[in-house]
Amino acid sequence: MPLFGTKTKSPQELVKSLKENLALLPNLKEKEYKKVSEEVSKTLQSIKTLLYGTADQEPATEQVAMLSTEMYQSNTLPLLIQNLARVDFEGRKDVVAIFNNLLRRQIGTRTPTEEYICLNHSVLIELVKGYENQEIALNCGMMLRECCRFESLAKILLNAPEFYKFFEYVEVSTFDIASDAFSTFKELLTKHKMLSAEFLEHNYDEVFMHYQSLLNSDNYVTRRQALKLLGELLLDRHNFSTMNRYISNPENLKLMMNMLREKSRNIQFEAFHVFKIFVANPNKPRPILDILLRNKEKLVDFLTRFHTERSEDEQFNDEKSYLIKQIKELRAPEEGES
Amino acid sequence: MSLLNCARAANENKTSKKKPESKPLDAQNDKSLKQKNSKSDQKVSNEMSNQVGIQYLPICHHYELSVVIGKGHSGSSSIFLAKHLPTASLIAIKKINVEVWDRELSYIQNEIILTQQLSHPNILQLHCSFVKGHELWIVMPLMAFGSCRDLIHAYFNSGLPEQAILFILRDVLLAVEYIHQRGIIHRGIKASHVLISKNGQVCLTGLHNSYNTIQNGKKLRKVHDFPIHSVDCLQSFSPELLHQNLAGYNFKSDIYSIGILICELANGQSPFSDMPATQMLLEKLNGTKPKLADSTTVGDFIIDDDGNDDQPGTTQERADVIFFKRTFSQNLHEFTSECLELDVVKRPSATQLLNHSVFKSIKNRPSSSLPSLLQPVTPLTDLAKVPRDLSAEEDDFTRKMSEVSMQEDWTF
Repeated sequence: MPLFGTKTKSPQELVKSLKENLALLPNLKEKEYKKVSEEVSKTLQSIKTLLYGTADQEPATEQVAMLSTEMYQSNTLPLLIQNLARVDFEGRKDVVAIFNNLLRRQIGTRTPTEEYICLNHSVLIELVKGYENQEIALNCGMMLRECCRFESLAKILLNAPEFYKFFEYVEVSTFDIASDAFSTFKELLTKHKMLSAEFLEHNYDEVFMHYQSLLNSDNYVTRRQALKLLGELLLDRHNFSTMNRYISNPENLKLMMNMLREKSRNIQFEAFHVFKIFVANPNKPRPILDILLRNKEKLVDFLTRFHTERSEDEQFNDEKSYLIKQIKELRAPEEGES
Repeated sequence: MSLLNCARAANENKTSKKKPESKPLDAQNDKSLKQKNSKSDQKVSNEMSNQVGIQYLPICHHYELSVVIGKGHSGSSSIFLAKHLPTASLIAIKKINVEVWDRELSYIQNEIILTQQLSHPNILQLHCSFVKGHELWIVMPLMAFGSCRDLIHAYFNSGLPEQAILFILRDVLLAVEYIHQRGIIHRGIKASHVLISKNGQVCLTGLHNSYNTIQNGKKLRKVHDFPIHSVDCLQSFSPELLHQNLAGYNFKSDIYSIGILICELANGQSPFSDMPATQMLLEKLNGTKPKLADSTTVGDFIIDDDGNDDQPGTTQERADVIFFKRTFSQNLHEFTSECLELDVVKRPSATQLLNHSVFKSIKNRPSSSLPSLLQPVTPLTDLAKVPRDLSAEEDDFTRKMSEVSMQEDWTF
């Protein structure tokens, strides 16, 4: 509980001061800018302390409630995100802490911040665009992933045209930003199974057209992560119809077969986990079957020698033997079908 | 005086040419004196501020690798001395071959992302990082004296002088104070994670084991998580972290590790390093406090020859002689003992330790005095003086050869 005294500002005063100063920031020049920016950071720090408590004090519930209500009513949250790049280095981290705390807030079964953002989509879109600014990219990433926890917010993000920007962000040359963007991207596609299954099904063409560029990326880490995620997505039973569509396309099979023979053993291994679905499919379309038949001997030979050092990985070895057996037994339909 | 001066120096660091009003005895270096304050976060070192203007871009051909100057992550990363070609300045590049890296990719990603969120003169910053082929390149400032472990290897087999330890300790505590205020527990403080620049600036690194107590919009007051990939750090872990019981641990765990660090710096060898991990655990839980080896404590030490590769041919007598000859201040002994306090509540915080009287003797002295205390060890400042070591590149070559595929193409 904050001590009573003239120095402590009430939650309302804190939010008011924050809002006023944030509104000033875009139009100020150096000297005044610095002054106001310092004031913003100080306020952010007080708000953070109010929400998180200190080493010996738990946060006070009434204060937290007053603060959050004031944040929604005064529409300070969107302003905070819009001006994130104008806040100083330490202040930005406080913004993240404040944002994430508010987002987790519950009143009974209600989550008021989630409800608020549902009505104010611009916050989410601003956060996504934050990846374009090096200075705030990682901060925005942290807030976005927190948003992804909520199905309603994830849905808005997936269905926004800005979602496709992620395919660029995960490939930027700065490793930390690309990595961060990828984990948000992955979270969006895997966190809420039903939601993402539906999304992938309805947007199959557009998503996989973009996804293709990740699998062909010049950036080894992007390629490897994208391939791994592809395997996870296709093998998730929620995504059954997406998987069926994917493994019916001979171009996809060719890509995986080529990736099986990439120089990188990790890529080979991840490709194996996608390739196996093509082979295990009991109803292979004709073009898929033809490719497998044309390469039957080579595949058996290749798989027999494939990653033989993984002798301790039982599941992998079982799967491998199964694939070899399946491929050996492949017959062209004229003879194979009874 | 120093508080006022310091605030001004931090604000007007570049332009400030005014002469300081009141001067302590050693006034020859007034620039650094102005910047110096034992407790202030705002201590801005020259080299850091000089680098502010330089943009390090994630473009591979901006950097020219020279030689391996160190290893990291239990040997799976190499640190190269390198040149930033646009400015011809020396930097360090950590190279990790992600293809043969046996840990989760997220492990290194988290370390980089976390480090990018920290900005403190005593925490090693990362200029940028990018992927080149199968490798991840991380561009960092060159810490020309290497790590404290390197110093011990190079010359100070039986430990560093007390004054040097104090300078190192002060900077490490400032770094730890900073991360603790931001809710992060380091969980890997040890001599090899403490680096020194050519100007004597001390930087803490090795954040891959660190833990953020601010999670899910809440601040955890106790932590139970045991760091993965931590075999190298076990000796420096606190008893409560190792204990893994319901009480958990908190920031104070790092303070215990600082106690172990002082012993490592002072004795040239980490305490408990001569025993199996299980015995170390028992000793720690029983409250055995490691000590600094000097004339006052020499009776407590049994020097084990086999356990100490740092001193080829060292005998019990030689070590005894060194330890007999020196005496650490009572202050430092007490300081160490406080850090290693078994009772977490009694163990002081980083902020409290920064006010400890042990730092009085270096109160008005900037870190730039540190290099002179490290003689005869000299910093790595000249590319030409470094012996060429091609082992790393050869590694790459042999790997490439083994990767060449010998099979014919698929028929599509």
